[in-house]
Amino acid sequence: MASAFDFPGGIYPPERKQRSNQSALIEAPLPSRVTLPLQQHSGQPARPCVSAGDAVNVGSVIAKREGMISSALHASISGTVSEVSATQITIQGDGQDTWQRLPSLDWRVADTAAVLERLNESGIVGLGGAGFPTHIKARVVEQHAIHTLVINAAECEPYITVDDLTLRHSANEVLEGAQIIAKLCGVQQIVIGIEDNKPEAITALQHALPDSQPVPVELSVISTRYPSGGERQLIKKLLDINVPSGELPADVGVLCHNPGTLLAILHAVRDGQPLVSRIVTLTGESINQPGNRWVRLGTSVRELLEQAGLNIAELHQVIQGGPMMGTPLPTLDTPVTKLTNCLIAATREEFPPAPAESPCIRCGECESVCPVALLPQQLHWYARAQEDTKLERYHLFDCIECGACSYVCPSHIPLVVDYREAKSRIRLQRIEAAKAEHAKHRFEHRQARLAREEAEKQARRQARQAQQRRPANIAAPSSEKVDLRGLRIAHAAAKASVKKAEKTLARVAQEDPKQSLDDLEMQLATAQENLKAAELQLAQAREQHSSEESP
Amino acid sequence: MNSSIDLIGVLSAVAVLTGLGIGFGALLGVVSERFKREDNPLVEQIDALLPQTQCGQCGYPGCRPYAEAINQGDALNKCPPGGEATIHALADLLGREAEPLDGEAQSETKVAFIREAECIGCTKCIQACPVDAIIGAAKLMHTVIEDECTGCDLCLDPCPVDCIDMLPRSAPLTQWQPVVARASNMIASDRQPASGVA
Repeated sequence: MASAFDFPGGIYPPERKQRSNQSALIEAPLPSRVTLPLQQHSGQPARPCVSAGDAVNVGSVIAKREGMISSALHASISGTVSEVSATQITIQGDGQDTWQRLPSLDWRVADTAAVLERLNESGIVGLGGAGFPTHIKARVVEQHAIHTLVINAAECEPYITVDDLTLRHSANEVLEGAQIIAKLCGVQQIVIGIEDNKPEAITALQHALPDSQPVPVELSVISTRYPSGGERQLIKKLLDINVPSGELPADVGVLCHNPGTLLAILHAVRDGQPLVSRIVTLTGESINQPGNRWVRLGTSVRELLEQAGLNIAELHQVIQGGPMMGTPLPTLDTPVTKLTNCLIAATREEFPPAPAESPCIRCGECESVCPVALLPQQLHWYARAQEDTKLERYHLFDCIECGACSYVCPSHIPLVVDYREAKSRIRLQRIEAAKAEHAKHRFEHRQARLAREEAEKQARRQARQAQQRRPANIAAPSSEKVDLRGLRIAHAAAKASVKKAEKTLARVAQEDPKQSLDDLEMQLATAQENLKAAELQLAQAREQHSSEESP
Repeated sequence: MNSSIDLIGVLSAVAVLTGLGIGFGALLGVVSERFKREDNPLVEQIDALLPQTQCGQCGYPGCRPYAEAINQGDALNKCPPGGEATIHALADLLGREAEPLDGEAQSETKVAFIREAECIGCTKCIQACPVDAIIGAAKLMHTVIEDECTGCDLCLDPCPVDCIDMLPRSAPLTQWQPVVARASNMIASDRQPASGVA
């Protein structure tokens, strides 16, 4: 039924999945040394909790969650911590592979909080590419009602076969992982979206379907077209729901998970095994044993590719991720992280350097393939001209950077590069603007505080003078006309601004309790300081006024 | 013919229009008094474009006073922390000609750092800081809150022992900007093909 719906645009690049999906899924050899970056997820980097020389087992926590959106990190081999730097932790292995597991948890009877805490302490993040911490994603039910869980097994990018192999080997376990999330989020149905170029995985799922309890699971085979694996595109295709611009799938009651993540969730809950390894596709024409491997996190890419028979003479570049959205690695001495789903060791013939860029001829080809129905050529002009307001008006931030526009461009313009650059420039500007705003509030608060202190000092001085009952010549400086009416107006205005600041603070706090309220609180404090100063000045003027009238 | 009717017509038209003019004039006058704004909205807009370092390099005590001065007709080019970008933004807003920056442009954002071993605890820098980013007390060591410091330099001069340095601010990796080498659109055969890795 579901494939009747469709998203706009899309392209049909050569799939080239045959190279890596022919061999079985195997374990990569245990690395003798791993390098684990502290940031392998979106949000804040983790904070190290070990120091050099500490002995660790597989699964020992080596870095803890820092802040709200962050994730824990675990040792992926047993051995000794050899270095803790600001960005990464290095572990020298002892070759023993001693495990340290958490107790097993029965998700069918365990309470929600315990399962959530398990996901948190196991360091599970979305393994599809974005690396969003799973326990935060699961807590979305606190804000939204979720009715459908979508298992995103479309895997539309060429070369990558991770989800395919995961489902072939562990369809039952992936479905059980889905049931855990379904229970956590109270969903009513699970829908699996898979492209029709993975017949073995589809068969495996069909065998596993009847056993999956208690939430009903529906298998939906869709036609192969890039980028059907985009979250929004898949939701549109399977459920005919449009996720509005600037909103998340959770806003329309849908949650999307990758099969690899669901498998990791099951391992964490059922076996107490934190996220220390993942499946990686090794492919490309430069290696002679392509396939999918279970790889310990932190393994060096060079080591991994050499084990797969890397021909270094033929190698042109290594791409992490798919050919459409992935990034070329500047060096092979980099570790596999939670986000490394595919490594393509490409020859020069396979990925020839992009031809020289020519000017845009406004053919409109990019517009017809854009899956988000944007106007890529307009965005291109505005990005090059740095017209940021126009970029936002043309919804630059809805671009999913799928690369379809660059793929079809007859002028070979690297459109996505332009968009990425423009996005990061605008993001930086927003950060700077927020900082300037913050500094302004602090400056205003300081001015208000100084004014209040001055008024207090003045009041004390006057009190002293009144006490000493000196003759009028001391009071002479204050003989200038007292502007009682002006002060009264200032006092009323200050009172009103305190009320306004209080109201704004209360409204924002109610609307979005997670948002930082520092600046609003600062504004309220500023208004209060101003009110105090105005009150003091008014009281002082009144006193002076009365003393002048009755000398 | 019928010149008298014409005259009445003309007079009545003039009377009606004058009446309307007086009526609406009075209305506008009353409304502008009744809904008078204390602050100038244009000053707010100018202030929003300034970098809010409150450094006083423009000769005014803070960004807001400079915004007011610009509104009164002062030059746009007195803000070194904002640089060319701010001058262009201001010129766009006010419809004025952009002028080259008066003073040295700042190449990077800085942050004040107090060499704590040398600090004598005089509180002079605390009083000078426009954003209350220095903490400490009399005869106790002072330190700068890095996140709040705007890099305005105002704490340097008052320090009697010169123990404050301006250091380049460390930007987090999340604010990293890609460096895109833009090939000039010249002759295609002039360009070198990109070289690979490994």
